[in-house]
Amino acid sequence: MFRIARLLVPLTTIAALAVIGMLLLPRGAAGGERTPTHLTATSHNQYLFGHDAIIEQPVHGNVQVYFGNVYVHNVIDGDLLVYGGDVTVHEPGRVTGKLIHGGGSVAGVEGRAGHVYSMSSLEGATATLTTTAVVLSLLFVWLVTAVIVTLANDREIRYSSIEIRGSALHCFALGLVALTSFVLTAIVFSYLVPFLIGIPLLAALGVLAILTKIYGMVAVFHAVGTLVAGSRTREQLASRKWLRGDIAMVVIGVLILGAIRMIPVVGPVVWGGASVFGVGVALATKFGRREPWFLAWRPAEA
Amino acid sequence: MKSESCQRYLEDPEANPSHPETCAECAFFAEIGADVSPRPVAIEALPLAPWEGARHRAWPLVLGIALALLVIAAAVFAAAGTTPAQVMRRIFPNLDLIVSTVRLLGDGLQHAPAGLQIGIGICFLVVNTVFVLLLRRAPKGIDV
Repeated sequence: MFRIARLLVPLTTIAALAVIGMLLLPRGAAGGERTPTHLTATSHNQYLFGHDAIIEQPVHGNVQVYFGNVYVHNVIDGDLLVYGGDVTVHEPGRVTGKLIHGGGSVAGVEGRAGHVYSMSSLEGATATLTTTAVVLSLLFVWLVTAVIVTLANDREIRYSSIEIRGSALHCFALGLVALTSFVLTAIVFSYLVPFLIGIPLLAALGVLAILTKIYGMVAVFHAVGTLVAGSRTREQLASRKWLRGDIAMVVIGVLILGAIRMIPVVGPVVWGGASVFGVGVALATKFGRREPWFLAWRPAEA
Repeated sequence: MKSESCQRYLEDPEANPSHPETCAECAFFAEIGADVSPRPVAIEALPLAPWEGARHRAWPLVLGIALALLVIAAAVFAAAGTTPAQVMRRIFPNLDLIVSTVRLLGDGLQHAPAGLQIGIGICFLVVNTVFVLLLRRAPKGIDV
């Protein structure tokens, strides 16, 4: 039993990394050669999972394709949602409603779709200079947020920062599992959207995820700042005028992680890893409050 | 040590010789001859605690870095020929996208193949079980 418990964290880390990878890179699941499905003229909504779709006759309704490509040769009188595949629109094909895509590319949609939305938000900022400006602006927002959160919860942030350095693997594993859990819970809540209760549940989950991420990132900033610029001795601490205290450590952490964030390819990966650590430590320490999430049941003793 | 009289006795036993007669705990330690007098602690010899100097507010550093970031970001925006509002509108998902995606995904999941729905259900249970197991572990008790 003890051996199994010791293996829980490493095994969980590996499993969660695999699941996150599959969620983030759905194209891997698309497979190779497949027989495409030719959608016939219909007035119903159409759903396809793991198949390519060829639309050669008008469809009056929404079309949803998951993990497959879509070739639009005729009119879709509704919305088109494609996840994990490419969208190609050929004349006279068009989408009268919204075209929402994620995990793939789109071609030939100019002027042939009502609104084209991408699920990956930063795709829109294609120019390097614009991307740099956006990252810098977001860093400024993170800096202000981190200072406010630290001023309000300095002791909690410090405790969480120590926890990251003391139990790094546990925080990382918990972060990965928590992110996977958030995604799966969001999917399960999506089932309830037609019954209305799904919307507030999804909103509550989103708020929890955002708060966890913000608090956790501030703790990560503090940990990174302390690791790099923290005082090692009392003499060093006493000799410093500015580079001491929680606020300074958090600001240094924002700068270091922000500078790494500017590096192409590596930056987003490191920032994503920091987010995983952050979510993990926020939950591991219950937002720095050092309280158990669950009360243990003990029988009353005479 | 239970009370202030115990503290006084521990600090100076000779000045408080009658205290063990009224305190069983101190009488026990006096009888076995245990040296329970508090030793002076060399604070400087202890490692630096995380809370030492933690409340210091380095406002010049914070304001300087914030201002520098703001100026650099504004300069890069100007060089790119765009404004923050335009870029933010482009990169952040708007309400229409969120509502439409949630509505379509919710509808789509209802029509997913049975195998996929069962798989999602099993994954949901397994992941959340592991999640709860990991949450049960107590954090390390380091005083801050």
